[in-house]
Amino acid sequence: MSTDLNTKPFTATAISPVAEQRGAPWLIVTLREVTVKVRDKSFIITTLITVALIVGSVVFAGIMGERTTTATVAFAENGRTANLLASANELAGSKDQKIELTAHPVSSGDAALETLRAKDADLVLAPTPDGYSLTGISDVPADIQSLLADAAEAQALDFNAGQLGVTPDELKAGSEVSQVLLEGNQERNSMAMVMGFIFSFLFYMSAMIFGMPIANSVVEEKQNRVVEILATAIPIRQLLAGKILGNLVLAMGQLCLFVGIGLLALTMMPTEIPFISVVIATSGWFLAFFLAGFLILAAVWAALGAMASRTEDLQQSTGPVIMVLVAVLFTGMYAKGSLLVVASYIPVVSSVAMPIRLLSSDVPLWEPIASLAVAIAAAWAMVLLGERIYRRAIMQTGSALSWRKALKLED
Amino acid sequence: MLEVKGLTRRFGDRTVLDEVSFSVPANGMTGFVGANGAGKTTTMRIIMGVLKSHSGSVYFNGTQIADADRARFGYMPEERGLYPKQQVLDQLQYLGQLHGMSRGDARTEALDLLDRFGIADRTKDKLESLSLGNQQRVQVAASLMHHPTALVLDEPFSGLDPLAVDSMTSLLAERAATGVPILFSSHQLDLIDQLCDNLVVLAGGKIVASGTAAELRARASAKHVVVTPPDAGWLREQPGVGVLDVAGPRALVEFADDATAQRVLRAAVQRGAVTEFAPQRPSLAEIYREVIR
Repeated sequence: MSTDLNTKPFTATAISPVAEQRGAPWLIVTLREVTVKVRDKSFIITTLITVALIVGSVVFAGIMGERTTTATVAFAENGRTANLLASANELAGSKDQKIELTAHPVSSGDAALETLRAKDADLVLAPTPDGYSLTGISDVPADIQSLLADAAEAQALDFNAGQLGVTPDELKAGSEVSQVLLEGNQERNSMAMVMGFIFSFLFYMSAMIFGMPIANSVVEEKQNRVVEILATAIPIRQLLAGKILGNLVLAMGQLCLFVGIGLLALTMMPTEIPFISVVIATSGWFLAFFLAGFLILAAVWAALGAMASRTEDLQQSTGPVIMVLVAVLFTGMYAKGSLLVVASYIPVVSSVAMPIRLLSSDVPLWEPIASLAVAIAAAWAMVLLGERIYRRAIMQTGSALSWRKALKLED
Repeated sequence: MLEVKGLTRRFGDRTVLDEVSFSVPANGMTGFVGANGAGKTTTMRIIMGVLKSHSGSVYFNGTQIADADRARFGYMPEERGLYPKQQVLDQLQYLGQLHGMSRGDARTEALDLLDRFGIADRTKDKLESLSLGNQQRVQVAASLMHHPTALVLDEPFSGLDPLAVDSMTSLLAERAATGVPILFSSHQLDLIDQLCDNLVVLAGGKIVASGTAAELRARASAKHVVVTPPDAGWLREQPGVGVLDVAGPRALVEFADDATAQRVLRAAVQRGAVTEFAPQRPSLAEIYREVIR
């Protein structure tokens, strides 16, 4: 054979275009993952629909907030009722309540009711011995009723105080209940609740949309034996790295798009959003925490994919991961107090729990940094473990493996 | 040249490869035969590094093989391995890139190969929409994309129609002629006979025969056809001649050695006419059946 070699040297080497690797293999895999997904019609459509929903809901909330409730109130001509309506409008203005009442004086109480029946007025306001009655056709808007009640109370207080020869303030002395909240304030808490829900949902959605495909594509390559060809072409570790990275890039990209669009829409709203700076800062934290949380899940998804022997096996084995994700979702929606503090240090769960804490109160800076460090360390450990299982289980033929068996596998 | 030395592999208590050694010379095709379960696929997977051996090594051009060498090999696994739901050209291009080709080179090469296999019109189709034979062609194309320095093909011809076999064999012969060692397994003995320059026979995890076709044929018991009208019966009395069959003037005989053959030829000529005196070349298929017995 050696004579053969000498007389006919290896021309294969000469014609081979494989001089050296052009670009790292993991990068090729990453780009592949991204381009396949980005070209996928259903992916594009879901992304666009979600963007539209985000913009739509922000705009809708803005419009609802801006909308002024107007009502025409008919009443039998008298000074007291006219005064009440005027002071109610004044009160609404001072409380920043978007209610506008139009006075529609008529000759008598019956005439007022007639106007209401003819739908020329929305409500009828009539004095009674105890105060006033408010009549509607089929309902009386609660916000208008409470506004008028407040105005009537102030009017009565003024009148009665005058009768007693004291000022209304003297009469009210000692009755004030002021509001003090230990954590944040009411406005901030409700903002934290809404944003917390949004963050939890985004995490859940992204982890599913981009995590599940890691498991699926791993098992697909295993099932079709493509992995044998791939493994001879590039180190198997690079294949896994490229796959995880590709989905991470996609997930982060989509998340940045959603969060960015949402924040942009919020800041462009004409009304001023309270705590917008807190929301923006926390969004940054959320993205960082998402990165760590997603890496952990990605390692688990990859290991699960490698342990399965067919796509069908995944339906069973991914159950626990999905339960963890649901737990994250519920933590984001319901966890409070010390439970939330504990959750904010548990990797994966911390991805939403810590941002929620940051939203609802002023947490010292070291806390999110410490929690993020814990999450990153956990991510590192999980990626190493996941890679180990992946590398060993991916070439195994036969039935699906359990975690115990997978960890015992030799190279 | 690709060499395998002392490969041993066990699955649990079962030894599936036992000290397997053979070589796959450059400039030729080496057929790898053996019954189902003989260990062909396991051997090929070990050569490609998909599976580890418990002992023994693989050498390429004299040095122990490394992953970098394997990265330049072409491999076709037994269970076909490509992405069913992706476009044909697209995945060939991807595999080429993973083997270090530029995007453009990979595309050109893929189109060229698909054209040679007569499926240039299916480049944009998903792999799963192709017939099994055409999927097989794509699979072979995948292993040839990066102009591999060696080819390891597990059953490359199974399921192919005769025309596809022809186009594939001519392509493989072309690659072999450039000095690429090619190892392929097959159960089609006639094909092996027609294509192989070398043969490796595996039975129960052990090598039972290996070498060039000429060596194996020479080693196989040399039979001769002797035709001496009117009757060849006289051959029975000659010392050193084993007569396997006589039919009138025609006999199938086995000579003890070359000297005997020459002596018998002289005797035959003295007796009268000799219309045929020829060594009967056993086919590789016959050799296979013989060694496997």
